[in-house]
Amino acid sequence: MTVLAIAGARARRIVRDRFALFFLLVLPVLVIVIVGAIASNPGTFRVGIVDLDHSALSASLAHDLADAHALDVRTYPSVAAGKTALRRSEIATLVQIPAGTDAALRAGRPVDIVAYGEHTNSDQQAAVAAVTSVIGAHGARVQAAAFSAAASGRSFATQLALADRLVSGASTVTVSSQSVDSASKVLPKGFDYSAPTMLVLFVFINSLAGGAAMIWTRQLGMYDRMVAAPVTPAQIVFGETAVYLMIALTQSLLIVLVGATVFGVHWGDPLAATTLVFTWALVGTGAGMLAGTLFKTPEQSTSIAPTIGILLGMLGGCMWPLEIVGPTMRTFGHLAPHAWAVDAWTSLLARNGTLADIRGDLLVLAGFAAALLVVATRRLRHVLAP
Amino acid sequence: MSPVFVIAAKDLKQRFRDRSAIVLGFVAPLGIAALMSFAFRGADRFHITVGVVDRDHGPLATAFASFMQNPALHGVVTVRTVPDEATARRLVRNGSLSSAIVVPPGFSAAASGEGATGTGATGLAVLTSVNSELGGEVSRALAGSFVNQVDADRLSVATAIAAGAPASRAAELSAAAAKLRVPENVVNEPIGSRPLKAVNYYAPAMAIFFVLFAIGFTARSFFSEERDGMIDRIAAAPVRPTTVLFGKALSVFAYGVASLATVLLFTSWFFGAHWGNPIGATLLCVAMVVAVVVLTALVIALARTERQAEGIAAIIVFGLALLGGNFVTISAAPAIMRRLALLTPNGWALRGFVDLTTGARGAGVIVQPLVAIAAFTLVVGVIAALLARRWAVR
Repeated sequence: MTVLAIAGARARRIVRDRFALFFLLVLPVLVIVIVGAIASNPGTFRVGIVDLDHSALSASLAHDLADAHALDVRTYPSVAAGKTALRRSEIATLVQIPAGTDAALRAGRPVDIVAYGEHTNSDQQAAVAAVTSVIGAHGARVQAAAFSAAASGRSFATQLALADRLVSGASTVTVSSQSVDSASKVLPKGFDYSAPTMLVLFVFINSLAGGAAMIWTRQLGMYDRMVAAPVTPAQIVFGETAVYLMIALTQSLLIVLVGATVFGVHWGDPLAATTLVFTWALVGTGAGMLAGTLFKTPEQSTSIAPTIGILLGMLGGCMWPLEIVGPTMRTFGHLAPHAWAVDAWTSLLARNGTLADIRGDLLVLAGFAAALLVVATRRLRHVLAP
Repeated sequence: MSPVFVIAAKDLKQRFRDRSAIVLGFVAPLGIAALMSFAFRGADRFHITVGVVDRDHGPLATAFASFMQNPALHGVVTVRTVPDEATARRLVRNGSLSSAIVVPPGFSAAASGEGATGTGATGLAVLTSVNSELGGEVSRALAGSFVNQVDADRLSVATAIAAGAPASRAAELSAAAAKLRVPENVVNEPIGSRPLKAVNYYAPAMAIFFVLFAIGFTARSFFSEERDGMIDRIAAAPVRPTTVLFGKALSVFAYGVASLATVLLFTSWFFGAHWGNPIGATLLCVAMVVAVVVLTALVIALARTERQAEGIAAIIVFGLALLGGNFVTISAAPAIMRRLALLTPNGWALRGFVDLTTGARGAGVIVQPLVAIAAFTLVVGVIAALLARRWAVR
């Protein structure tokens, strides 16, 4: 009962604190929206187009580029604007369709279409390769129309329309594609990526920052008063643990619910997801309580905690998949508990994993939680000692 | 010494004694910059290894192998010859290859019209992995580029026959079409910019983010001093209230400039970051820190208690950082988010740093962000002054 009373008192303080609620409830959802929007389509090249010809053929080329599933196309009013976007990495390459394209092609003359990109920048060269393929396919139809117009004496326009109709059924050499695996090593795109990674990041950061409340309680002398009452240090420790766990679980539950209902996130096997959420909440609880006993002032807790949280989040793959960094960084990243949590979510969301598939990750996380909780409770008992 | 400097020095000494200012202003941004630099060393450039399986052994397969070895592709693709399809599948599956392209038996004969035509069996097959989406896309694009010319010739003949040319002339038309070249050529031209590396973006992004925390601890210290009667004692001394405000503003300014300058210098020395024109970079730092000073004044004017000051400051810090692009590379964001970023001083400062680091030239590169940050600072400053006056009157 005493444990519940201590936890309840702390919980009431949090609920009354609008700013704490902002960080617990609003901020994580905002970050999920922003990161989810940016990570929604990473499997394409962002390509800029400047059409200086404004003709039927230039429009059809721009249309083909926009239709290509490998390209995410943006149009720019001028070459200068497009070059600026390219320099700022808003696009991976800029395609400039020169003035006179339509007239030259109808007259049977070749046209040079410029794809801007640094030769030393492999990202840009990869995008240029993707663009070249689409432009080549468009050029094939133009070649066919010009050839047929010359052979049949009919107009270029009618032959282009004929070539467009034939292209899908003609005896072309195909390029087929086949995936050899289905076991993804990274989380899916969009909110399926941002929701679980931000759950891992924010539950940990908020738990750490929650250490400030413990410091305030200590500074106000409330622990001393509690110990003076018929309350044992063990009851205080359990009360504190309960409230930290409750905060972490509440925040996790909110992110899971908002993710599922608003953003359509499929959290995978319910039993495995629930176990993972609970285990991660225990890790956050241990970290938060340790922060509360380690830092001397609330300022230290609220300022250093986000720093540690962000650093561990980066290290552990919350900001980018550890698959894209080098093997050394990937190994180093697994010193952070975040990496094991993200691995487990990847297994659940990307590979339809079950509890059995993530038991290794859960064991490591449980180890982290146990170590943090043991050290934190020992330190708290030391603080409470008369 | 002027009382302004005395108050500023006192504030700075107090802040550094707590160590949180050192962590936020120096350790955290440098730590994150180092982490970004190591994490993406050699991994922030796109390069794939593609396997080629030749089951055709015909002239077109040889031509395809030569096409893949084109020196222009060396920066993007390393080609590895694989003996058979099963091995290629295994290597793609275990990540040794990003993808593989299989040239099927009879490809040359079919493509030149000697064998079966128009079926998937005669086309190039690209083996991809779910773990290398871009690798698969590039391989498909390369295979597509190669078959475009073959397709163009076949489509030319098909179109001419469909337009009325007698089918008996197919061989003659094929021979004529074979001499043609696809009329739309792609010419790759550089624009002379430097690549935007992760460390070049996230070093100033994180430095600005952590400098924004100065808003919170300065505003909080104001209210804690007020609570302890420190402000009243200073007011009793022959020091004007504006002197106290200038002293606190100077401490924030000195701390912010020192933090940003340290991050820029260290990343330049140790992580190969390039900041372009040093005067431009310095002006951006100064403008951003002045905006932080004014935001601090706004929080002090808005809040009534230490806890309120902390909460309002935190909302401002995270709101600006989220909108301005301090957490994510804003260039990869949708257009609406890039426009929203330009409502924030940190968004403009980051744009300025991106322009400087990528080698943009001209006065506009710096003038535009400086004017935008100055406008933000002015508006916030006026609001803070109005709120402070209302508070003083009350």
